[in-house]
Amino acid sequence: MIEVSHLTRRFGSLVAVDDVSFSLESGEVVGFLGPNGAGKTTSMRILTGYLAATSAEVLKVAGYDVLRDSLQVRKHIGYLPESVPLYKEMRVEEMMAFQGRLHGMRRKDLAGRVPEVLERVGVLGRRRQLVGHLSRGLRQRVGLAVALLPNPEVLILDEPTSGLDPLQRAEVRTLIRELAGEHTVLLSSHILAEVESMSDRVIILREGRVVADGAREELIATLGGAGHVRLEAMVGDAEAARSLLATLPGVEDVQITERVGIHDGFTLTGSGDLREDVGALAAQKGWALRELSEVRPTLESLFASLVVGEASMSPAATPQAAPAFVEPIALDGASGSGLDLMPETPAADTPSLGTPGQKDNFYSLNPFDGGGSRDLSKPVSSSESPDEGCEDEEDEA
Amino acid sequence: MRGTFIIFRRELAGLFAAPLAWILLFVSLLLNGYLFSLVLSQTMGDVTASLEFVFGGNFFFWALMLVLSPLLAMRLLTEEAANGTLEYLRTAPVSDAAVVTGKFLAGTAFMATLWSSLLIYAGALSLWGVAPDWGQVITIYMGAVLSSALFVAIGLVACSITDIPLLAAFLAFMSCLLWVMMPALGGMLLVQMRVLFADLFGSFEVAEAWIGGALERMDVRRHFGNSYFQGVLDSAEVIFFLTWISLFLFLTTRSLESRRWRG
Repeated sequence: MIEVSHLTRRFGSLVAVDDVSFSLESGEVVGFLGPNGAGKTTSMRILTGYLAATSAEVLKVAGYDVLRDSLQVRKHIGYLPESVPLYKEMRVEEMMAFQGRLHGMRRKDLAGRVPEVLERVGVLGRRRQLVGHLSRGLRQRVGLAVALLPNPEVLILDEPTSGLDPLQRAEVRTLIRELAGEHTVLLSSHILAEVESMSDRVIILREGRVVADGAREELIATLGGAGHVRLEAMVGDAEAARSLLATLPGVEDVQITERVGIHDGFTLTGSGDLREDVGALAAQKGWALRELSEVRPTLESLFASLVVGEASMSPAATPQAAPAFVEPIALDGASGSGLDLMPETPAADTPSLGTPGQKDNFYSLNPFDGGGSRDLSKPVSSSESPDEGCEDEEDEA
Repeated sequence: MRGTFIIFRRELAGLFAAPLAWILLFVSLLLNGYLFSLVLSQTMGDVTASLEFVFGGNFFFWALMLVLSPLLAMRLLTEEAANGTLEYLRTAPVSDAAVVTGKFLAGTAFMATLWSSLLIYAGALSLWGVAPDWGQVITIYMGAVLSSALFVAIGLVACSITDIPLLAAFLAFMSCLLWVMMPALGGMLLVQMRVLFADLFGSFEVAEAWIGGALERMDVRRHFGNSYFQGVLDSAEVIFFLTWISLFLFLTTRSLESRRWRG
């Protein structure tokens, strides 16, 4: 239904969309996910014909070429821009009638369709109100109704839930879920939970490139392989326990994380669920367990690491990219398993971020610092002298 | 065509739904009407002289046109771009040409409404006083509408360049003003160039006559004064306005299209 390959768009020297390729099947709901400025809106605007592509091999919506058959494409899409542009001086039903006329709908069809669509988005009671008098949430719904009115095959929704309160968000999400099957929906958001709850497939964009593209379950399942088991127990000699744990079948690596009071922490990576064996070993050795859990990376952490990946790729550029503490994910491991993860940035490339397995590794996450003024080889210890660490940060700030 | 009509209807409704149009109309008509009644009483009821004075005979007529047309163009195009509704229109299944033509027609219709005060004055006079020369009244009305249409078209070109309403209105106003003053300015420029060219090439007369003639032909006030104002409907004068209007609408369409590339 939507076919894009090697799409590039430049604004002067800025490359807003960089060699992006993806395609949407009919009836699919796909979410664009990415931080601000990742190229989501630009891509959508190109698909609707509002902007032209600098270059593209294939650019087809509903079977029509976006550049050559722009008017045909526009007939087959419903587009809701982020700003929800509606004529403020018109009443809701007038706005709907205008949209219907633009799409060449007959008066008779319009009379039946308008209340139907307004009912569906829940603004039927406001049909006589001026659009300019509606609240943000209601306007968003009217915008959605306007896009839905001609019953387009493809719906392109730019940040459909932005500016809504949690209740309205939930309603819009439900509505979009209902649209799946009837329409092909391409939506965008910079909030992962939104995309996750609305779409079957997620395309993650960063700096104009597609960094991941796959079904939500697929992404999580694949990343689950890179999960680890966390163990916290009273073991006495941590080093001895570590070598003992390493002998368990399936265990590839054991790291000692930190010691809290009398408990030592370990991180075990390996294949399969290691918890049973670890539990049995702990029972046998009489270790007092405080925690034994499997940590699976969520899509959230994938997203975060992909976004923060910026920091490692351009070290000098973004000091504010550093503060987020990120669950380390072996991206190189994931890339070999059917996932299209383009930047192969192993977590080891980001020394300024905390990595479990190194003791006392809580570096300052002060966003104004950027790490430039501090000697990174001397970590600010959190367990030994937390107060001192805080003071250091204040001085630098 | 269908798209043009739909846009035209909406734009006209949009203009009259907002207070701006009513305020412009109110103030313009108030001044215009006051001026008319003043001249009428001063000329001891000379209907033709009064109508001629108010509609084309003095600079107020042109000033009104020069101020209102850019404001309308700004409201039609730049405000939409600023509000984001232009994005809506330009992703709807209508061509850019239809959008531009629809907006232009709406702006012209607004100016036609404004100038209809001429018809009302003439009608009132023929009912309760001396009947005016209706042929002349109709041609003056036509001329006024066509001249305003030309200024709306010039304004649209200027307004399609920027997304800042105030700047757009200013640019549009300056462009319209330049268009009206071009013959006078061109004449002054030619005099200056004559001195320069006389030193270099000796004679400049042929080129000067040619350029001067071309500039004169673009003089809107002269075109208005020579035909419409006299009560003459000349096809050449109609074509003059329609050609320039088409050119400016074409330029506006192209300028809008270039936004796809500029972003």
